[in-house]
Amino acid sequence: MPFAGKKLYDALVVGGGIAGIESALNLANNNLKVLLVEKDLTLGGKMIMLSKVFPTLDCSACITTPKISEVARHPNITILTNTNILQIEKQDKNYFKARIKEKARYVNISDCTGCQLCEEACPVVVPDQYQYDLVGRKAAYIPFNIASPRVASIDMDNCVLCGACEKACPTGCIDFTQEDKEYEIIAKTVIMATGFNLFDPLKIPRFSYGNSKNVITALQMERLLAPTRPYNHVLRPGDGQVPCNIAYVLCAGSRDLSVGNPICSQICCMYSIKQAQLLMGALPMADVTIYYINIRSFGKGFEEFYEQAKGMGVNFVKGKVGKITETDNGNLILWYEDINQGKVIEKKHDLVVLSVGVLANDEPKKLIQGWEKDEYSFAHQKDLFYTPSLSSIEGVFLAGTTSGPMDIPDSILSAGSAAMEAIRYVKQTSIDL
Amino acid sequence: MKQRIGVYICHCGGNISDYVDVEKVREAVAQNDGVLIAKTTMFACADSNQKGMVQDIKENQLDGVVVASCSPKLHEITFKAVVERAGLNKYNYVHANIREQVSWPHSDNKAGATQKAIQIVKAAIAKVRLSEAIEPLEVDTTQAVLVIGAGVAGMKAAISLSKMGTKVYLIEREPFIGGRIAQWDVLCLTNETGKELVSRLYTEIVSNKNIALYTGAQLVDCKGSIGNFTAKVKLSPRYVKETCIDKEILKKAINACPVEVPDEFNFGITKRRAIYHNFPAEYPQTAVIDMNSCTRCGKCTEICDKIDLNMKEEFLELKVGSILVATGFDPYTPNEGEFGYNVIDNVITLSQFKRLLAFSEPGKLQWHDKPVKNVAYIYCVGSRQVDGNNKYCSRYCCTATINTALKSNDKFPELNHFHFTRGIRTYGKQEQLYHNASKSGHVFFQSYEDDPCRVEHKNNKTTVKINDILTNRKELEVEADIVVLVTGMVPRSNNNISDILKLPRGRDNFFNEIHMKLRPVETVIDGITIAGACQGPKNVVESINSALSAAIKTYSFVGKDKLMVKPEVAEVTPDLCKWCDECTKACPFDAIFKNEQGVAQVNETVCKGCGMCLPVCPTNAIQLKTFSDIEIASMIDVLANEL
Amino acid sequence: MSTSENPRILVFSTVKISDPAIDMAGLLKLHYSSKVYTISVPCSSAVKPRWILRALEKDFDGVFIAADGTDCPYGESCTEKTGEIVKKTHQLMKERNIDPIRLKMAAICSVCSEPFIKQINNFSNTLLNLKTKE
Repeated sequence: MPFAGKKLYDALVVGGGIAGIESALNLANNNLKVLLVEKDLTLGGKMIMLSKVFPTLDCSACITTPKISEVARHPNITILTNTNILQIEKQDKNYFKARIKEKARYVNISDCTGCQLCEEACPVVVPDQYQYDLVGRKAAYIPFNIASPRVASIDMDNCVLCGACEKACPTGCIDFTQEDKEYEIIAKTVIMATGFNLFDPLKIPRFSYGNSKNVITALQMERLLAPTRPYNHVLRPGDGQVPCNIAYVLCAGSRDLSVGNPICSQICCMYSIKQAQLLMGALPMADVTIYYINIRSFGKGFEEFYEQAKGMGVNFVKGKVGKITETDNGNLILWYEDINQGKVIEKKHDLVVLSVGVLANDEPKKLIQGWEKDEYSFAHQKDLFYTPSLSSIEGVFLAGTTSGPMDIPDSILSAGSAAMEAIRYVKQTSIDL
Repeated sequence: MKQRIGVYICHCGGNISDYVDVEKVREAVAQNDGVLIAKTTMFACADSNQKGMVQDIKENQLDGVVVASCSPKLHEITFKAVVERAGLNKYNYVHANIREQVSWPHSDNKAGATQKAIQIVKAAIAKVRLSEAIEPLEVDTTQAVLVIGAGVAGMKAAISLSKMGTKVYLIEREPFIGGRIAQWDVLCLTNETGKELVSRLYTEIVSNKNIALYTGAQLVDCKGSIGNFTAKVKLSPRYVKETCIDKEILKKAINACPVEVPDEFNFGITKRRAIYHNFPAEYPQTAVIDMNSCTRCGKCTEICDKIDLNMKEEFLELKVGSILVATGFDPYTPNEGEFGYNVIDNVITLSQFKRLLAFSEPGKLQWHDKPVKNVAYIYCVGSRQVDGNNKYCSRYCCTATINTALKSNDKFPELNHFHFTRGIRTYGKQEQLYHNASKSGHVFFQSYEDDPCRVEHKNNKTTVKINDILTNRKELEVEADIVVLVTGMVPRSNNNISDILKLPRGRDNFFNEIHMKLRPVETVIDGITIAGACQGPKNVVESINSALSAAIKTYSFVGKDKLMVKPEVAEVTPDLCKWCDECTKACPFDAIFKNEQGVAQVNETVCKGCGMCLPVCPTNAIQLKTFSDIEIASMIDVLANEL
Repeated sequence: MSTSENPRILVFSTVKISDPAIDMAGLLKLHYSSKVYTISVPCSSAVKPRWILRALEKDFDGVFIAADGTDCPYGESCTEKTGEIVKKTHQLMKERNIDPIRLKMAAICSVCSEPFIKQINNFSNTLLNLKTKE
């Protein structure tokens, strides 16, 4: 449902990734009026960018898009994309006041047909953040094909104001005079589904990320493997060659006090095993080696999935990678401490994937007064076992990775849990009013 | 006959189109009788394609739609909703499965896969051509829920549902509630104990008038379907009346009992009488007599007149709209001799060790009167089995063991800990516990997958030997005062719930959800949800999250007083019926009766559409909607007629 | 009866029990003959003998009923009832001079992907032998 300036809602859901989407659907299906706010141009969060998901190997888009589609047409859900929360304040009588800012898109959403003529016309090319900078995009652009809403937007930071897109647009929906709009809304309960940040491998210079083009992150590999992938083939970014000897470095930025992140990210082992399986399919001649400390395939069907990867010929090496250096032809030397032999060994690979981990997104701290975080900057769970989704603030509930690393099935269950508590809270506080 | 049919063939981003030539399929069906539009699409399920379909249907007044994509289990509902949004009846939609049943199993044979896809799509077109619009049926819903299992998952789900105003019947098979967590004592990442958590939940349950709690209550039969289940529950008596409040007399009565049996609460490492309390986690707070071990000697009744050995079991009939199953797990029981279990005296399981730590007085820990100093933990017992059937990881045990070991030192500072692992899996924030343990001097070994550690008992000494990964297969050994087998989770044994409710199990033998991400708490039986560790190993937080997810799903079934049910029911052609009674005998739901005209008639809201009545009719007078003779025959003809 | 390559088999599968197993066979990339087609019905004891006869009289070499067995969500009587249908159809097949071997039934549970492949391969071989004999 379009926003149309409506002020009162039962629930405000912050974040339009899989946890926010699942929460919103659960609330709306039980007749609560929901405002779903997403800071990005599209719903879907990180999940929609993935290739396939473990351990069932369903394509990620096949799981996300129907849910997004249901959210988009739900009569009880209002969606605001490209919108920031400025502040949420708890008021008396158990309701929340939120100030939100809908950023200018310079495109009138309701008139845009997603024809992409503006994209063709735009002369500006910048790295495409939705493809993790593997390829370029225009300044006038649609994030990606299965974006929701699938409409254009003008990236004003890079736009040269040439007006080419305006001329090309058949519906005249491009509007350079658009301005950011601020609104104030009231909600009885809030679900924070603000997700996580990826570890930035530039913080570990010895892995050569940023210096060697053929050292990439696992999220970049997701894009290379995805059905909507940039090169339509798995190629190494340095020179476009088909890689034939690929290494995965697990725990890149996780379980590592030296980068300030002592905890395990919970997902990297499994997504790396999944990518290895997909690579064996996409590049049947390639060797795939996974360097690990411990393989943590703990969920339903995960251990079996790990065994399956071993059976397919993925090479698992127990050893901690110390450094990665580049040779003249863009190949890489990987130095690791081999646990079996007790010494440092050098191995040559032509593509290295860093299995980067999950870091807390501590933005909520700036948005709500009374927000407490744990020692890793994830949301504090006030009553961990009795009400896992309860934040430090009564009436504010936590869905998905807001409270810690989680895989998709756990995020979905956590979203259901938060929605149940939020509905109960609304019902109980409404009686009290 | 539908003459304006739209057909959409999905690439599924390569999942289908890598093996099936979708363009060829499109060409092959585009000229089929009745087909107006035939298109291919990258993702049929994507919002943009859904919008495109709605537009196509409206602009071209399509009267039937076929989507050929993944299994109907995933997206048939999605596409039925699409055609409904465009104003078409959802029964004018037919789904063709060309992924799970074509592109994937025939990925070795692209030509064959393409040919099969063509036939399947043509058959779907043949069916949709004959399809008729049908309207859903409404049933009145019983606004009550049966929750099976009063462990933390079941209790939490019951509380949440009751707060939404739903009547909840919470049944527990054991005489006491709390499940495994009551026995677990220390929990991780919190100072709250299992007993405290259970106690909080129990207090809330007994003060809540919307929840009826029954202990010693076992589901014995269940009939009906979503909206209206009738569950039959057997209530075993406690044999101790609730009016028994004199604890001293009761204590004497218990002491008079001559029977001694292993105490399940302590996993058999202590004994109890046939009449017993369940200390320290006794909810409800009344003793009980275990009739399986009672000899009916009557000694206790002589002391306490509130004990009555002649109490009879009772049966309840509960009418509910939905059922939430939270029957939990059993700790794996090692086989005789597995790592010395039941053969070497000081080899016990983690569950037993946790109880030992809980009930032993602080100071010196003892096992069978010998002081315990060195504790060896052997991981993955009953999980990740190389030879056995339990291939899965039990998820909770690495963390639980390290946490138990760490916290044991608060009470027993002298304990040293040696962990014989297969790679520690303290995922997420739990990693901090592993870190703390390493820092506090716990010793960690890791065995090779094909070379487990060994427990030996010689000269009154128990040693654990391992060829350690971290020291390049060097054999290391530790002399242990007690060996703790870190046992995983297995589905509850003697759990007949799956037979009664017809719940399917997964490869790991736990109950199976429909889809881990799309419908993670629903089962193939409409109206029955699953929560907690009965679905697969989970820790407490994960169990509670799944319980609440199941609760909100359940609430969406019973929150309203009416539910829409499927109209795909059986239908009798009165002129053909000669009333022979065969169909009524075949119907498992008593949905067919003899009407005033003397012929068979189907009660549409009771009929579940199973079709068992179809083949038994001697005059072929019964048709099942959407599975009629002409529909099936048209599909057979198309599938048979390969070009 | 057609004589080209793999025998053509029509499987009557069930929506809730055997279909998931056949789907999972695909998910696990277990291969079987692409000449195997399914028509799914709510329950295996809903299959009318006339449907089976029609398939055999058209161009199918064999019909396989992937029965619910004891897992049937509609009740335990399913096994017996499906057995009854097979018996009745075998009788009708004899009357029409169709070799009863061309109709087979086996219970396929919701995770019986491998048993399904085994059953189908065995049935294929049986039908192939029958073809060569003829």
